[in-house]
Amino acid sequence: MTSQPQIVQPPRIAVRLVNLFSSDKEAETIEGDLQEEYTHIASKRGAPFARRWYWRQTAKTIAHLAGTAYRTAPWSTTSAIAGGFLLRRLAARFVEPAIFAVIDRYQIFEHHFSTYKFLASTGIDIGHILVFLFVGCVVALGAKGREMVATMMLGFIFGAMAVVAVLVMVSRTGDDAFLWRLTWYVVDSFAVVIGGGIIRTRRSTATVRSAVA
Amino acid sequence: MSGRDYLGEFEHIIVLALLRLEDRAYGVTVRQEIEFRTHREVSIGAVYATLNRLETKGLVKSHCGDPTPERGGRSKRFFRVTAKGVSAVNRAQRALYSMTEGLDLARSYS
Repeated sequence: MTSQPQIVQPPRIAVRLVNLFSSDKEAETIEGDLQEEYTHIASKRGAPFARRWYWRQTAKTIAHLAGTAYRTAPWSTTSAIAGGFLLRRLAARFVEPAIFAVIDRYQIFEHHFSTYKFLASTGIDIGHILVFLFVGCVVALGAKGREMVATMMLGFIFGAMAVVAVLVMVSRTGDDAFLWRLTWYVVDSFAVVIGGGIIRTRRSTATVRSAVA
Repeated sequence: MSGRDYLGEFEHIIVLALLRLEDRAYGVTVRQEIEFRTHREVSIGAVYATLNRLETKGLVKSHCGDPTPERGGRSKRFFRVTAKGVSAVNRAQRALYSMTEGLDLARSYS
């Protein structure tokens, strides 16, 4: 009698990443193939080796899926990215006026000075993160099937622009405090990708539900 | 013959792997066959990206198998080469043979 290898669960984050980047049709077969080989490798060479193998496969697989997704519809993906760029420029203008309108409406400056200080500094940064999250969601809605590629490219563009802008400011003024702003800008870029992930997950869940129904 | 029917290097390897594996050809076996014979590490993403492209060109066909427990209840996607795919691989083989015929590669580049 031959013994079947015990089924072990691969790294959850890696599985999630593969799921985010693959189309609904591909996700089941790719995840199944990786699970099958992972179980086999783990039983033969141990879980740590199998985990490293799984992560290596995940990284290479994501790169291929992202490249293929972009190549299949380069113009619509680029249009979604350009649209997201313009939307961010438009929406970002309303963050500060909106926060100060709230401050004025509830007379926060007069009655809750510490809250005013928070809203007028960190509150504006959080407002910008929400704008980036919204932009990520809109771009993902426009780039159906390529949500992650489009939002990752847009996030990378914003991140690269922020790094260049901060380095120019630091070199011109000699003020290292600008480097701290980079933290917020990196979070902004991540917010775009998270927006894409939210829409991708919702679409994937909707497809699974309709398939079950 | 349209330009789309030409096989790239990895497409050529994939079609040959499918022909070798016959009715056992799915992501895992194709990937392992290529690694075993070419000694190069291949990702499952690269295999599926190429298989999907070949399917779009009509050179391969796929169908889903039954879900299995060792795959976490997910089904396999089996592939087979179409008649058009066999013609394409024959053309690619003939082109390679024609281009290498009479060449002494070991001597030319030693």
